[in-house]
Amino acid sequence: MSLLLASLGFGLVTAAVLALATVGFTLQFAVTDVLNLAFGAVMIVAAYVAYWVNQAGISVWLGLVAAAIVGSLLSLVLNRFIYAPFQRRRTSSIALVIVALGLTLILEFGLQAFVGGTSVSYQLAQGPTVGSGGFQLTVVQLVIIALALAAMVAVHALLTFTRLGKAMRATAANRSLARTCGIRSDRVVTVTWLLSGALCGVAGTVFAVDAGSFNATSADLFLVLILAAAFLGGPGKAYGAMLGALVIGLATEVSAAYISPAYKDVVAFVLLFAMLAWRPTGLLGDRA
Amino acid sequence: MSGSGLEFYLTTLLVYGGIDVIACLGLNQQFGVAGVTNFGYIIFQAAGAYTAAVLSLPKDSANGGFQSYIAGLSLPFPVPWIAGAVVGAVLAVPFTFLVGKRLRGDFAAIGLLVAAVMANLLVTNYRPFLNGDAGLALIPAPLNSTMDSQSLGYQWGYSGVAVILAAATYWFCRRLTESPYGRTLRAMRDNDVVADSLGKNLRLLRAEMLVIGGAIAGLSGAVLVGFITLWAPSAWGYAETIVLFAAVIIGGAGNHLGAILGAVLVPLGFEEATRFIPSFGPPGLIPALQWVAIGILIVAFLWFRPEGIIPERRRTSREVGDAQPPETPRPHQPSPRAASRAGNEPEEARSAAADPVVLEARVISRSFGGVHAVADVSIALRRGHLTGLIGPNGAGKSTTLAMLAGTLPVSSGSIWLEGRDITSLPAYRRARLGLIRTFQLASEFKRLTVLENLLSAVPAQAGEQLGGALLGRRHWAADEAKNVAEAREMLDRFGLSAQANAYAGDLSGGQRRLVEIMRALMARPSVLLLDEPMAGVHPKLANEIGEHLLHLCEEGMTIAVVEHELAYMDQFCDPVVVMAEGRVLAEGTMSELRRRTEVVEAYLVG
Amino acid sequence: MSAEGAAPRHPGAEGQLTAGAALTLEGLTAGYDSRPVVNEVSITVAPGEIVSVVGPNGSGKSTLLKAVIGIVQVLGGRVRLDDQEITGWLPEDVARAGVGYVPQVDDVFPPLTVRENLEMGGYLLPTREVQSRLDEVVTVFPRLATMLGRRAGKISGGERKMLAMARAMMLHPRLFVLDEPTANLAPAVASEVLEEHVRGLARRGATALIVEQRARAVLAISDRTYVLAGGRLRMEGSPEELRSSPQFVASFLGGSAGVADIVSESEPGSPP
Repeated sequence: MSLLLASLGFGLVTAAVLALATVGFTLQFAVTDVLNLAFGAVMIVAAYVAYWVNQAGISVWLGLVAAAIVGSLLSLVLNRFIYAPFQRRRTSSIALVIVALGLTLILEFGLQAFVGGTSVSYQLAQGPTVGSGGFQLTVVQLVIIALALAAMVAVHALLTFTRLGKAMRATAANRSLARTCGIRSDRVVTVTWLLSGALCGVAGTVFAVDAGSFNATSADLFLVLILAAAFLGGPGKAYGAMLGALVIGLATEVSAAYISPAYKDVVAFVLLFAMLAWRPTGLLGDRA
Repeated sequence: MSGSGLEFYLTTLLVYGGIDVIACLGLNQQFGVAGVTNFGYIIFQAAGAYTAAVLSLPKDSANGGFQSYIAGLSLPFPVPWIAGAVVGAVLAVPFTFLVGKRLRGDFAAIGLLVAAVMANLLVTNYRPFLNGDAGLALIPAPLNSTMDSQSLGYQWGYSGVAVILAAATYWFCRRLTESPYGRTLRAMRDNDVVADSLGKNLRLLRAEMLVIGGAIAGLSGAVLVGFITLWAPSAWGYAETIVLFAAVIIGGAGNHLGAILGAVLVPLGFEEATRFIPSFGPPGLIPALQWVAIGILIVAFLWFRPEGIIPERRRTSREVGDAQPPETPRPHQPSPRAASRAGNEPEEARSAAADPVVLEARVISRSFGGVHAVADVSIALRRGHLTGLIGPNGAGKSTTLAMLAGTLPVSSGSIWLEGRDITSLPAYRRARLGLIRTFQLASEFKRLTVLENLLSAVPAQAGEQLGGALLGRRHWAADEAKNVAEAREMLDRFGLSAQANAYAGDLSGGQRRLVEIMRALMARPSVLLLDEPMAGVHPKLANEIGEHLLHLCEEGMTIAVVEHELAYMDQFCDPVVVMAEGRVLAEGTMSELRRRTEVVEAYLVG
Repeated sequence: MSAEGAAPRHPGAEGQLTAGAALTLEGLTAGYDSRPVVNEVSITVAPGEIVSVVGPNGSGKSTLLKAVIGIVQVLGGRVRLDDQEITGWLPEDVARAGVGYVPQVDDVFPPLTVRENLEMGGYLLPTREVQSRLDEVVTVFPRLATMLGRRAGKISGGERKMLAMARAMMLHPRLFVLDEPTANLAPAVASEVLEEHVRGLARRGATALIVEQRARAVLAISDRTYVLAGGRLRMEGSPEELRSSPQFVASFLGGSAGVADIVSESEPGSPP
């Protein structure tokens, strides 16, 4: 019982990190049709930004803000100068994915060339442990969960209640119709990449906090979890991404407790393949 | 570098080059030729390497507990290599479910990428299995019991074998690609829905590509592991697949020579270039910069030269073209029947009911997201008739056609071909029964020549299956020559001989429609379904096509044509079926229909 | 004005409409990938006028509208709204100039609710005016009032079309551009859309350019009608003139003077 509770606790933390990332990833796909596989690479770049801030003796939570800004700008640059020009040329979606993989190499190994191959950690006190029975979380873990919850509520509020958020959904649903309503789609796209990039930066930092130590290529495996969560919920569905993140986060940690920590990510892989085979539009997607 | 040092270096270069060439050829066969994007390609190379390693390791190779999993089979060369290729092929089978028609190509590719990451993770973590993270070491080189694997002679021998295997792989891939089978693969790459409608079994073709690519990758892994004598998860990260993709894209996807050039330039060239760069910076800097350079090359090539250094060759047919006199469309003798129609008074004496029904739709429906596009439509196409299908936009004509051909499944109802229920047959199976359709939107295979477009449709070609292609040109040359002759006659008849060797994608809109009609005819249909075949075709030529279709009907073909050109219906079609709001409104000759108010209303009022 | 649908205008009546703008197309040539689909089309719509363009499938009607609102590339000629030239403007700028567009298909945002669809229609309005405008528009389409919370993808075809028209009304457009408002609708619904809602626009003094395949029905609500075939204008006239023209009827049902005869004078596509 306490094992289950403990693994649920870890699962919630993983789900929180994953939700931040997956919502960002899936928003990019929804609004601009780009499967940005360089998402993990941008996360790590942002995590390093937080690390440098942290190295200067400043709290990592302030570093997180810097990471969000850098993630934002870097994502915007990727779309503005790489993805969007390719799309204007009507490059096939498969070629665009190859471009994204190329960008991943450039970012990850460019970073590695700069910072070296060794792993680094933030200067951060985990804080006291709270909880009862087996369900125990450190204060830092609680902060991560709170941060993710706050971000999800903010995304929900944005998409449901604001003019901008509705314009994003409208642009995702039918870009040319949105334009004939007077919505400046290029601005909506810009804002989408800035916002999803900020989520990416935050996700990168909390991923690094959660992982304890990280290096330039640490996010490769995490990208797989993001993809699994996104496809589970339905590519391009923000709420699907949240649900997918929760399922994948809990499933991986619970299986880690009961099967073996070495294979926890394999569960994500099995879920992803099951979805691709059974229902490629995801749990919350439309039926094909 | 001493003399023998240089020789050792050269042999190493040849071995690595040979292995990279083999791997790139396999990937190019999948990706460049057949359009199957396998981001998990490296799994199959790894599988071949592990297989060869495990099979060749002797019993006592645990090396003081350093290696924990050794079967100790110690099988003699060449068994481990052959097994490596076989395991690569077999491992591909479970992945074939990803490449069916249902899944978007980029989603399937991502599934394979994830599979590669996961496979690596599994092997890394599962300690007894393949010795986990540490990997296998001290793998015996082939024939090392009888030869000194450190000798220069052995090195030369090994490099010779690697080069010969690379050449053999090239020969094998060329044999596939330059056959009718290869043409079918390229057609599938250019437009899979259309290839499906012409009777090509996409799932089988893609599965064959995964399996063949898997075997080739497996072989490359086996050869590699025999040379470097160790193999570990770090050697086959998912990023290694990207290097191979970079090689194929830079060299020229779709061209096997391009793949060879890419293999030499990218995996081999990068590795070797760093040997000559004076070492600088901290350790790890140069490899990292290498990866950055590969990433930049991928993006830059896809932007500036997506066709690669050696683009795919246009397959021209030498017999056609320059020597020919300028082609003039052969004038048609209007058939007596057509002549009477041209006078706008259809032969009403001809009783439609007399001819047997060939294709029949019984109360078929189709809805999209709750909206009925077609509701309870029953249509019977009779032998020897050119049936017209008209109606306003959104009447459901194209949807009906798609359901008849199997491109879209019916929501309810059944479809019968010559008394047989074909409702559950997929499009390619229906096409093989002689039920061929064309498409409303441009659907030519863009990177096939006009002649190749026509040839691609011929059913049951001698060299069209994998086996036939492997039997070689001698097996299919005669059949091909016959088909080429038929295609040329067709081109001649439609006045497109001069364009035989042009890429279909480069033609004008009207010419592309013609190519599509000719291609459908090359499929030797018994039932032909044409979706707006005259759109963008010059009226004079449209007339000739109409005459030709009538002629085919007289010879016993059954044809249905969706057209909005009513004059065309007057002239050629009997009966004409009017659809509106997803239902059949009326059926009869045009002059009959014109007298019926509900038809007039459908067009003018709604 | 004597057409049966063109009832006397009552500017300022229910669901107020802003004063209309004049639309002028001068020799407009437009198409895809630099291939013209419509050629040298000249059309005028005066303020307060309902002008329709009819023609068979594939005659280029939709392409013409899309060129006007900026979705399709203009290859030649000019588009003017009042005195402002809007040729080649981006669709969002054309919307800002006061043009409300209802496409033929994909005319709503399916994942958004009916209310949100209307809000998107009023995207350019000041935020505080959106709700009051929404209330006004809903009085014109009372049926929508009962389904504001439903997803637009889940409502019926006729309701969808009403929603699309209501969405276009949100902005007080000076010109409505309607692309086959009855396409894909069941006959009864189609006539409801045309008779009630499109005619309703006319009653309220709207200025509109309508493309329609159901020629006779749209004649009843038009002040003037153009006939497009093979990408070129073939006829122009008042509803009465056209209704009594044998050539007009023939151009829809073939016969002695079918579209083919008209079309074969031009060269659609290119000869091989």
